[in-house]
Amino acid sequence: MSESRVRLRRSAALLAVLLGAVLVPLGLRAVNRAVRPPDAAPSYIPSIESPRVRAPFDSDAVASLREAANDYILIGDSMAGTRIDPGHLSRLIGGHGAAALFHPGSGPAYWYLAFKNLVINAGLRPRVVVFFFRDENLTDTLFRVYPSALDRVAKNQEPVLDEILAARARGAFYRLHGAIRRAYQYDQTRAWLEPIIIRAPVAWSAARRARKTLLDAINNEVFTLEALRPMAAADMAAPGGEALDFDRLLPTSVLPEILRLSQRSGVRVAFVRVQRRPAADGPAPQSPALQEYVRKLRAYLESNGAIFHDDWGDPDQPLSVYEDGDHVKKAFRQAYTELFFRKNPEIFR
Amino acid sequence: MIFASLDFAIFMVVFVAAYWALPRRGQNVLLLAGSYVFYGWVHPWFLVLIAATTAVDYGAALGMDLRPARRKAFLWLAVAANLGLLGFFKYFNFFADNVAAVLAMAGWHVPKPALHVVLPVGISFYTFQALSYVIDVYWRRTPARRSLIDVGAFIAFFPSLLAGPIMRATTLLPQIERARRFSAPAARDATLLLAWGFFKKLVIADNVGVIANKVFALQSPEFYVLWAGVFAFGIQIYADFSAYADIARGVAAWLGIDLIKNFEHPYLAKGPAEFWRRWNISLSTWFRDYLFLPVAYRISDRLPPERRLRIDAATWAYSGGMILTMLTAGLWHGASWNFVIWGAYHGVLLALARIVGAMRKRRRRTRRWLAPLQIAGMFLLTSLGWLFFRETDLAQLVRHLGLSPFESTVLGRRTGAYLFFLALLYSIPLWVQSLWVQLGGRDLGAAMVREEAQPVPWVVAAQALLAGLLVAGILVLRSTTSLDFIYFRF
Repeated sequence: MSESRVRLRRSAALLAVLLGAVLVPLGLRAVNRAVRPPDAAPSYIPSIESPRVRAPFDSDAVASLREAANDYILIGDSMAGTRIDPGHLSRLIGGHGAAALFHPGSGPAYWYLAFKNLVINAGLRPRVVVFFFRDENLTDTLFRVYPSALDRVAKNQEPVLDEILAARARGAFYRLHGAIRRAYQYDQTRAWLEPIIIRAPVAWSAARRARKTLLDAINNEVFTLEALRPMAAADMAAPGGEALDFDRLLPTSVLPEILRLSQRSGVRVAFVRVQRRPAADGPAPQSPALQEYVRKLRAYLESNGAIFHDDWGDPDQPLSVYEDGDHVKKAFRQAYTELFFRKNPEIFR
Repeated sequence: MIFASLDFAIFMVVFVAAYWALPRRGQNVLLLAGSYVFYGWVHPWFLVLIAATTAVDYGAALGMDLRPARRKAFLWLAVAANLGLLGFFKYFNFFADNVAAVLAMAGWHVPKPALHVVLPVGISFYTFQALSYVIDVYWRRTPARRSLIDVGAFIAFFPSLLAGPIMRATTLLPQIERARRFSAPAARDATLLLAWGFFKKLVIADNVGVIANKVFALQSPEFYVLWAGVFAFGIQIYADFSAYADIARGVAAWLGIDLIKNFEHPYLAKGPAEFWRRWNISLSTWFRDYLFLPVAYRISDRLPPERRLRIDAATWAYSGGMILTMLTAGLWHGASWNFVIWGAYHGVLLALARIVGAMRKRRRRTRRWLAPLQIAGMFLLTSLGWLFFRETDLAQLVRHLGLSPFESTVLGRRTGAYLFFLALLYSIPLWVQSLWVQLGGRDLGAAMVREEAQPVPWVVAAQALLAGLLVAGILVLRSTTSLDFIYFRF
């Protein structure tokens, strides 16, 4: 065989392997058709998610909120969870007290849906709904869009949130990501395969009777927040660059929608920026870009009738009250709750 | 720039296309420029350090050539400059902390000088690579190079720049200097190796890494939970580090350059010495050639020849040299006492294995049935080492070592079993691959085939299918928690 022919065959073989890498994964589509659970439904945020089986909306939460008819509802992630003791706050404010909708590892999409679906659309009219956040979280719409959390507060269709997410995910990276996802439908495969992988070792680890509750026990009894060791570096990534361009981020954030719902329903909203872990010799360092971002955020919120409170630089929250990362110590929780009550007369008027 | 990013994918496509369109000299200029773009992508100031290292080592090697009477002075200048930079950026805070702690014990409370400097990623790797060049020139194993471009491209060679393998001047520089030809068979092997590398990183290492991170975030893990976490970490670090090496070799092969294989199925080792012949091969051979052998020879020269405790002088020299070398290797990994303990532990293991081996030499017989037990035993010893490596808090380490399996709760036992099996499940492809190679199958990481008479159709079809399955696996099972390559820290 001639040298050029051999060379051609070698190139064809290389091309075959490259094509194999690109084309074989398309088989996932066929696998999905054969294996996909019948109850997989289109996602409520189709711009970033394929059809999957979702966890049900938490109507129990709505029922208990309705029953309690609290004057204040607090929404946030573990930053709020480690700071606010809702029972203690209820005792301080009296009346119908406060309810907390804190979900560790949640982000603005969750906070928005909790506000919309568990409060406003459920017909609740508390005096104030308070959102706790860090730095630029409120406008970082793609921060922690975790289906396991969102499912509990999302209705079957969430066109407004989907539009916001789609607008946010418009960059080249997200476009490419979306195109690959649509082509291979790998997230549909993941939706049924991952639970199988997660659950399979349960059968090898516990007797038949204990299997049902093992994963819950692991999550709720072994890996609890209280069981973790202090980690100063936990979750301390500081934002920078485009993440701090308030004017650019605002239109693709849930913030205008939260304010619109607030104005429409007459429920006042407040936003509390919790203080990140301070330095040993003073408050947490802030870049000029972050200071400018916070200045614009405050102006925007206040001009739209919302209350803004900034914990940054609070001398009553020195480094010594912090546990891991930006979380505060459990022992400081009641003290923070009191500080929050005392330093926010506008909220608790 | 990191491998698993869109930035790198675009960089790589553009780079490879431009690279093969250029003649050799142009390729080397592009290699140097591309490596600097790659390295300075996030922190451009890192480039100052690597450029300084290059200038010093290039100049020192040339100086040895031009002024042979001052060879030693040039060598020490280069060694001091390289280790000085490495020491400053990597060990300053460690040194300052420990000095302050010792002074505090003596009653002097001196404020620690705080230096908030980012550790330049890859500095440990390229410093050692650069040192190998000057030392080899000093030992006359390789000539000093006249081309700054070639030396610069050798030190900053981007595929292996951040986490190895640490290449020797005698191996990589000649490849950079000679004309390279695109090899479709090598690119085919490299594509498969890249897919396997990314699979190991994104699916295996990152998923089991989440388990290890969760366990080591616990304040008081029970015995079984802790050791499940250690097992997960053992898998994570192997999958993670070998993945980087595979990706580096795959990328380099697309550029017509062969990098050495850095891992040889280390968890199949039957003893400590074999483990180190299979684990991070480029680093262990670096330490062997540039530290252990000179030290062991020196100790050997000074020891009286008679046997002590029925052990000959050579074995004592080996043991002393090995413990010193492994202590240094431990410190190379990071400025922390747990790495020193890890290094000392492996040094003692190696020394003990050598001493026991020397004492039992006459009675040694090959017992094949013992091999699985030896592999399992070495895996357990390695895992104990990973506990030292992973646990940075010494108080916690002492607590972990005092844990008893009999004091564990039922939930603790079940959680440990669950985490162990979950880590095992994610790592099945890793074990299957090792078993496949053990049974005589072709290793995905074997040397790239540059020349072949003709592609065999069924082999090509199998490669295409495997590459596709690996990509599908990455798409579906990729961990949602993206972890940095562990060795970026070193």
